[in-house]
Amino acid sequence: MSQPRSSGYLRTRYAQDWMLLETRTQRVGFALFAACALALPFFAGAFHLDIANQVLLASIGAVALMLLTGYAGQISLGHAGLLAAGAFTTGILFKEFAAPFWVTLPAAAAVGAALGVIFGLPSLRLRGLYLAVSTLALHFIVIYLGSEYESKRGFSTGVVIDPPRLGSWTLTDARAWYFVLLAAATATVLFSLNLMRSRTGRAWRAIHGRETVAGALGISVQRAKLSAFVVSSTLTAVAGCLFAYYRGFVSAEAFSLFLTIQYVAMVIIGGLGSILGALLGAVFVVLFPYGIEAAMKATALADRLSSLIFAVNYAAFGLVMILFLVFEPKGLVGIWQRVQAWFLLWPFKQKPVGK
Amino acid sequence: MQLAVNIAVLAAIYALVSCGYVLIYRTSRVLNLAHGELMMLGAYGLFTTASLFAGYPLLAIATSALLALIVGVLVYVLLMRHMAGEAVLAAVLTTIALGILLRGTIILFWTAQAQHPIRALGLTNQSIAIGDAKISAVGLTLIVVTACVYAGLYAFLRYTAWGIRMRAAGQNPLLAAQRGIGLHRIYALAWGLATFTAGLAGMLVACDSALDQTMATIGLKAFPAALVGGLDSLLGALLGSLIVSASEVLIIYYVDPLLSEVVPFIVLLAMLVVRPWGLLGTREELDRV
Amino acid sequence: MKRTLLLGLLTTWVSCANAQDAYVIGLSGALTGPNAGVYAPVVEGIKLYVDHLNGKGGVNGRQIRLLIQDNSGEPSKAAADAKRFLSQDNVIMVVNTSLSSTYAPMVSESKRAGVPLLFAGAVCPKEVYPPADELQFCTTAFTPGYDTRMAFTVIKEMAKEPVRIGFAAMAIPISRAEMDYAASVAKQMNMTPVETQISPPPAPDYTPFATKLKDANPNWIYSWSPWISEVRTFEALRRIGWQGPYVTIAHIPAEEELVRLKDPNFIVFGANALFQDNQPGHRDIREAAKNAKLSYSVEQMAEGWIAGMAIEQALKNSGWPPAPEKLVKSMNDLKVDLKGLRDGGIEWTKDNHFRAKQSYRVYRWDPAKQAIVRVKDWTEIGAK
Repeated sequence: MSQPRSSGYLRTRYAQDWMLLETRTQRVGFALFAACALALPFFAGAFHLDIANQVLLASIGAVALMLLTGYAGQISLGHAGLLAAGAFTTGILFKEFAAPFWVTLPAAAAVGAALGVIFGLPSLRLRGLYLAVSTLALHFIVIYLGSEYESKRGFSTGVVIDPPRLGSWTLTDARAWYFVLLAAATATVLFSLNLMRSRTGRAWRAIHGRETVAGALGISVQRAKLSAFVVSSTLTAVAGCLFAYYRGFVSAEAFSLFLTIQYVAMVIIGGLGSILGALLGAVFVVLFPYGIEAAMKATALADRLSSLIFAVNYAAFGLVMILFLVFEPKGLVGIWQRVQAWFLLWPFKQKPVGK
Repeated sequence: MQLAVNIAVLAAIYALVSCGYVLIYRTSRVLNLAHGELMMLGAYGLFTTASLFAGYPLLAIATSALLALIVGVLVYVLLMRHMAGEAVLAAVLTTIALGILLRGTIILFWTAQAQHPIRALGLTNQSIAIGDAKISAVGLTLIVVTACVYAGLYAFLRYTAWGIRMRAAGQNPLLAAQRGIGLHRIYALAWGLATFTAGLAGMLVACDSALDQTMATIGLKAFPAALVGGLDSLLGALLGSLIVSASEVLIIYYVDPLLSEVVPFIVLLAMLVVRPWGLLGTREELDRV
Repeated sequence: MKRTLLLGLLTTWVSCANAQDAYVIGLSGALTGPNAGVYAPVVEGIKLYVDHLNGKGGVNGRQIRLLIQDNSGEPSKAAADAKRFLSQDNVIMVVNTSLSSTYAPMVSESKRAGVPLLFAGAVCPKEVYPPADELQFCTTAFTPGYDTRMAFTVIKEMAKEPVRIGFAAMAIPISRAEMDYAASVAKQMNMTPVETQISPPPAPDYTPFATKLKDANPNWIYSWSPWISEVRTFEALRRIGWQGPYVTIAHIPAEEELVRLKDPNFIVFGANALFQDNQPGHRDIREAAKNAKLSYSVEQMAEGWIAGMAIEQALKNSGWPPAPEKLVKSMNDLKVDLKGLRDGGIEWTKDNHFRAKQSYRVYRWDPAKQAIVRVKDWTEIGAK
């Protein structure tokens, strides 16, 4: 947003401070990107559309986690638990009261907000790893309650949910889903971008920087922390609700600790402290297994290893993640910024100052 | 009586696993979430050496324990050394990635088949009666080994030059480095020792029941124990293990076995509300992202 | 962001399937993750059969292309696998070899596409019993309801005194539900259910669970759950000195485990004959396994092999060119001779996608003979 440009662009009016897209290149770039995003479902097959939808779903969750971890600096390992809470709220309301989506969605958001307060309470006393672990504990409790519901009500293979219905129209088509999810993801991103420029967002960044100083500046540290948890959890629970409708079922096993790890990987691989980073991370983590598989096929390793191929895939995921963390600690956003800087400074080769 | 024995065995498992968490955290402030996988690797190491040196169980055990130590040092030298100075969360994520890599590699080499290292060693797991209670031979060994490991670590940290250096590096890395302590060597040693104890735990648990992919999850179960005691205190880890295992065993017996998964975390939450830094941990300014 | 996405899409696009000269089948199984040990051998068995069949010239002169995907037992991955099979690879049959939590997403995907779904090595869902769901089929040996009724048949026959029965389950919904059913059957048969112990999927030590079970003082224990908790609870019980008979369903590794445990009171029953019975079907498997490089022992191949036989017969009857509708039709009227691997074969009708009769053999270790012995020959269990 308000990154310094190398030359040629000067803000002359206050209104320009408020623009999300400042230069013409940005606007053209964004228009092209939007056109691609809108055209995608008309070219992609059902399988690729499913991947695109997974990316969009993941990006909502990743942006939510980025707000909490990347901006407000609060570590949470309860992300899968929050997704599960949103999904189970949807599932339970649907099964017990046959509630339509315009009831379950706000209900999921409300449950998310309430859990945000609960998940956020330890943050008032705890920092760093201790906070991470207390959110982890809450994750196990949510999953335990969910699986108890499943067992007690006899849904041993998961709670099946009908697709959302509006009048006589039901949302089943993958293409329709794509647009719904695209709209949801866009709304989340816009909301987050604007929130980061508001008083709340600045407060979050301040407590991330140093709590004592933030307090001295007149920021209520406790309120800022709790609000970060509440906003992030609400968004996550909504993502969980969408997830439940998209997949058509809810089960406790779908929200393992590995899911949390994937989301944490998204924000770190993408690059902490950047909404763009969350999006890039979501794309990367979702596409990565498919990429490895394609690479295996292309190099004909698949045939040679046949029955071991999945173990190789699994191990490769870990290996690439390690390489990424060791060699590109700033994440995908770091690469993106370097590429930008290279073009900006061309034909001079110098490192941008302060980056 | 049987309940007391059960608590002792479970506490020994938790304690042996959690001392690895403590060793690494206390020296380098990194939380190692690949601990369960390193445990599993140690156990598979024993399974392999047992088949390699058939008929010489002691040689097999010694070799695999040594291997675990070397693996730990290698993990630090090849991987964790590069994470120095990065955000805490990035270092933790690196250990998670290492865990994923190890799990895949283990299936690759040993398949997902359940194995029984004790059979490969040519030993049997007899039960021994203590009063009206029974304990398996391996369970008893586990308690003895845990006691030895803790006593050894205590002596090491207290009386040897390397141990004192390790404590110094944990307390204040900057000052320690200025006094001429090679931090990399200390960290490598901590990783080596932690993986060694993890390997021992893996081998013993595998000998007591069996060895398969679920072993990695057991490592995570010991984690609340380490936290309850305080992540930077060995004695705390021992106490925490006792508290967590006692509450788990008693709740299984008197309340509901279904709660056994949640109990350690409820104990942990209660502890975090009362004393966030754990029973015997140091109150400190904790790092953030 | 989308630029990266498009690039990624392009790379996967290249690997599109275009095999119109073969029957294409998609299998999604738990090949990694904590439960891989239970399902990976079955997948290997199916692969062994299909490779063997393709080596002999395939079905109707066409090859079978078996696409395998790993879902690690995770529902979301299973859903993505099913979607991919049905929308990109145009499979005519989907096979599930994974945990029960992966059923719901795969069922809904297969329904949407009208493609049959076969459960092989994964516990049979109730939908395959009469009146069967149109698209769900099952070849798996173990199955809820029948298994428990068989267990009680064994116990009733062998018990000499009034039965006080204990149950051992795993903390997964399907196992817990079966134990509840078992308790109700026990009451009907005038046995006293004394205690149900439920252990979490992996426990570091099973002794605390076993202690509670032992202290309830049962003289029989029955367990129906994944093998890991069946056998580890048993071993823990023996270690703390409970010597009674323990009845359990023979899962994939049963034959090797009976030899390992050498306990005369560890009684297993299974719908698959063990390899020591040396039926023609077993000899076929051994023969095929000779030339294949297997990661798992040949004794674990029977379950996958049986699924392979059913798939072959169904494809044979459906003819060429392949179409899901024709395949469903042929599966709705199918008879497979399993060459002694089970009592009777697989028989599917429009109404019954399970089998016409379910029978079990009962085995245990005999210390005198130092061998596995058959306690009871094929015993048929009715539908209720």
